[in-house]
Amino acid sequence: MTSPIIRVTNLTAGFADRIVLRDISFDVQRGEVFVIVGGSGSGKSTLLKQMIGLYRPQCGTICIEGEDIVAARGPKRLSILRKIGVSFQTGALFGSMSVLDNVRLPLEAHTDLPQQAIAMIARMKLQLVSLGDAADRMPAELSGGMRKRAAIARAMALDPLILFLDEPSAGLDPVLSAELDALLLNLSRMLHVTLVVVTHELDSIFTIADRVLMLDGATQTIAAEGPLLKLLAHANPQVRRFFAPNKEQM
Amino acid sequence: MSNFKLTPAGDRVTLSLRGRLDAYSISAVWREASEALAGIDSARVVIDGTQIDYCDTSGAAMLLDLAQVARAAGAETEFANLPEQAQQLLGLFDPAKLVAQNQQAGRSLWFERIGLWGSRVGNEIVALLSFVGEAVAALVIALRHPARIRWGDAVRIAREAGVDALPIVSLISFLLGVILAFQAATAMRRFGAEIFVADLVGLAVLRELGPLMTAILLAGRSGAAFAAELGTMKVNEEIDALSTLGFDPVRFLAVPRILATVAVIPMLTVYANLIGLIGGAIVMMGFGISLASYYQELLGILDLSDLLTGLGKSLLFGVIVAGVGCLRGLQAGQGAAAVGRSATSAVVSAIVLIVAVDGLFAVIFYYAGI
Repeated sequence: MTSPIIRVTNLTAGFADRIVLRDISFDVQRGEVFVIVGGSGSGKSTLLKQMIGLYRPQCGTICIEGEDIVAARGPKRLSILRKIGVSFQTGALFGSMSVLDNVRLPLEAHTDLPQQAIAMIARMKLQLVSLGDAADRMPAELSGGMRKRAAIARAMALDPLILFLDEPSAGLDPVLSAELDALLLNLSRMLHVTLVVVTHELDSIFTIADRVLMLDGATQTIAAEGPLLKLLAHANPQVRRFFAPNKEQM
Repeated sequence: MSNFKLTPAGDRVTLSLRGRLDAYSISAVWREASEALAGIDSARVVIDGTQIDYCDTSGAAMLLDLAQVARAAGAETEFANLPEQAQQLLGLFDPAKLVAQNQQAGRSLWFERIGLWGSRVGNEIVALLSFVGEAVAALVIALRHPARIRWGDAVRIAREAGVDALPIVSLISFLLGVILAFQAATAMRRFGAEIFVADLVGLAVLRELGPLMTAILLAGRSGAAFAAELGTMKVNEEIDALSTLGFDPVRFLAVPRILATVAVIPMLTVYANLIGLIGGAIVMMGFGISLASYYQELLGILDLSDLLTGLGKSLLFGVIVAGVGCLRGLQAGQGAAAVGRSATSAVVSAIVLIVAVDGLFAVIFYYAGI
């Protein structure tokens, strides 16, 4: 078995004196779609932000391709960050730039490619997410679904090894949500990108997840981890209820 | 790293690419291979990928572009022995559309730009007139039904625009009086006419500079604040929420701001006038003119009409500052940048309008003999 692309070991994290994640350890394998789920306030987004190095944990390590993002500084940290792309919950597109310029930005900052080449690559990323015709529009002119897809195109600009997505289908209608799930699966298969997705949309989880990690907000620990089928038959009724709420009520 | 080799064979040229084709490693290969292909005179170009180790979408972009360059040089182009991932990636894109979009980007015709500018100016004028109409109607309704005015908001805004502005108004007005008196006194001293500096300071401050500087300061402080506050509300859909709750955003948001600004600006102007005159007095004392003489000279040259013309103008300036600030805020687009733009636009538009109106008043007062 190959070494995991992400290894989180004994991670404890929180804010001031409030612990949100307590002694958490798990691995993400290369090329898989790893979904993080849990109730509201269970620490999903906090975990994601720890994994991408935005927050510092109180203790523990987070290794991406064997390098600890927590301890890394300067060029080493930059080289780790180049391996990841992040799509935030609201898209976080830069409002003063066109959609194309949003996608061009990482290419201009981190490569020495000529402008014409950068423009072409950026347009290809936008074609990948079916936004080829919206390249020159401003983020404010896009619908919620288009903004999310543009954010994915920007996150994919440098062809990262790992793509982190925070609530990619939140606020989208079922059709758009299904289209986005198909897009994510396509990206994963065609580009061999490892996806780490934070979501609580059951349809998305059932469609895209290879493995699922469920957080327990009450104990701040992992409630369950594994392939979806394993979690559906989990011994803990709370876990089963999360994935089949209607069935458990009956 | 990646590199390439160009091998001619009869009427065919083979471009062999080697190594990793990703965004970090293809820059030199892309440029050099493009230059080499642009100059070929072969009928056929084969882009061979036997030795490509890795190819992502950036690499695929280069392959498509190189093929396009070869086609533009008049050669038939084909890919051979590409890795499976590269083949799959190339299948995702429409090369003709990509190249066309890339070539079209940034091109716009001059008459198209003029048309867009004209349309923007036209829309701006319509929006301004529409806002003025709405604001006047809302003010009339508010004044006929004073109980409907949000007096709590108006008092808060008056405090922020008025009381909180006292330090900056004091500083600027004082320095204005000092600078004006000092510059004039230096010149008039040669003629032994220092006492007439009091006339100049008194008339200039009361009729022009007091109201003008107060209005410009208010535009920079409160006009920008109104635009930023209302712009943020627009971005957060709070304005839409007001509309759906049955409130007229102009009456709810603009009327208290206009009333508060119009209420405080004459008081600030009187205060600025007083501080400006004190600044002038201090300089005059330095030139040996007593405070009593300065005061007597001011009483001799100034009359009530000088004060009232300044205050009359300041009322209109207040309407301009608050009105433009609210208009720009309500016109804000989406996103953080839009709020910044609306605040900047509010200050610039208000200052331009204030100066233009002040010039107009100067001409009217001259011909009216006021």
